[in-house]
Amino acid sequence: MTPSRRFIALWLLLPALLGAILATALDPRALPFTGHEQISAVFLLDGQAYFGHLEDVPWSGTITLRDVYYFEDARKVTTDLPLALVKRGNELHQPADAMRIRRDKVLVVERVNLDSAVGLAIAAQRALDRVAK
Amino acid sequence: MNDVVRIPRRTLLVATGALVAVLLALALVMTGVIARAADATTVANATVVKTQQAAAERDVERAYEQAVEQVRKVRALNLAITAAQADAITLKALNDLKALRHSGLVKLGQVLGVSDAEAYATTTEQAFDKAPVSAQPAPTPVLLAPRLYAIAAKMSELATQLSDQATTSLTAPAATPTPTVAPSPTRTPTPTARP
Repeated sequence: MTPSRRFIALWLLLPALLGAILATALDPRALPFTGHEQISAVFLLDGQAYFGHLEDVPWSGTITLRDVYYFEDARKVTTDLPLALVKRGNELHQPADAMRIRRDKVLVVERVNLDSAVGLAIAAQRALDRVAK
Repeated sequence: MNDVVRIPRRTLLVATGALVAVLLALALVMTGVIARAADATTVANATVVKTQQAAAERDVERAYEQAVEQVRKVRALNLAITAAQADAITLKALNDLKALRHSGLVKLGQVLGVSDAEAYATTTEQAFDKAPVSAQPAPTPVLLAPRLYAIAAKMSELATQLSDQATTSLTAPAATPTPTVAPSPTRTPTPTARP
């Protein structure tokens, strides 16, 4: 292989190939500073579901959720739906920080569509929070 | 004979610098520092807030209408208490429920940032009095924002309490004259055993 061919292979083709592989593996919306919010739904083995900003560090035994919301039974309330979305933080112990969940208790982690009922309710909550400030 | 690979010092420095930069970037990404710094948050636009507002108004009104219906149904029964008593209890319950709906809508207006929450509540009440929720077609279900849900939940709870209280009062047994203690006949002296 002549030096010019080696240069092309090493500095052009190889990075292009690596870039192509990474592009298929990565979700562009998942990259930081892209302006897309990522809300994750974390379903636990016991059936509970939590929604929020997920931090998943591979070497940690826990995953971390921030800005957490969860479902509450609303069958006794006259709402359109028999369940309601509640923001975590108003419980008796008033959790102040993020929620750490043991990794082995997690059943499924999914991305929440921002146009879904949960996504819209969270966005509306933020709009109301701004009004309150 | 061993071959000695000579790496220029400059290349070594550049490679080390690149490795440190990559490790630093990885650490920042993995610990979530970048994610938190770059975290975008979506805030609902006016259309979404309007939809939420309409749903919350419906929920408040639905709680009111259900409670009123319960009170009226119980009033229509053949009750043990007098008609005047039943009317008084019903009227009080309906007035309390109206006041509750008004305060619920005022609170809703405050949460939504309406400048004149009282006027907003009155206007909304009048609109619902003309076109009750129960008479309207089922709307597209909306999952309420937690702040709005808190109002709807409190409204439901209090309306149920008021209607249950009225039901209990209306279905109470009629007051019967309490038996007065009749004067007991004078005791006849029990014969004592004589020695």
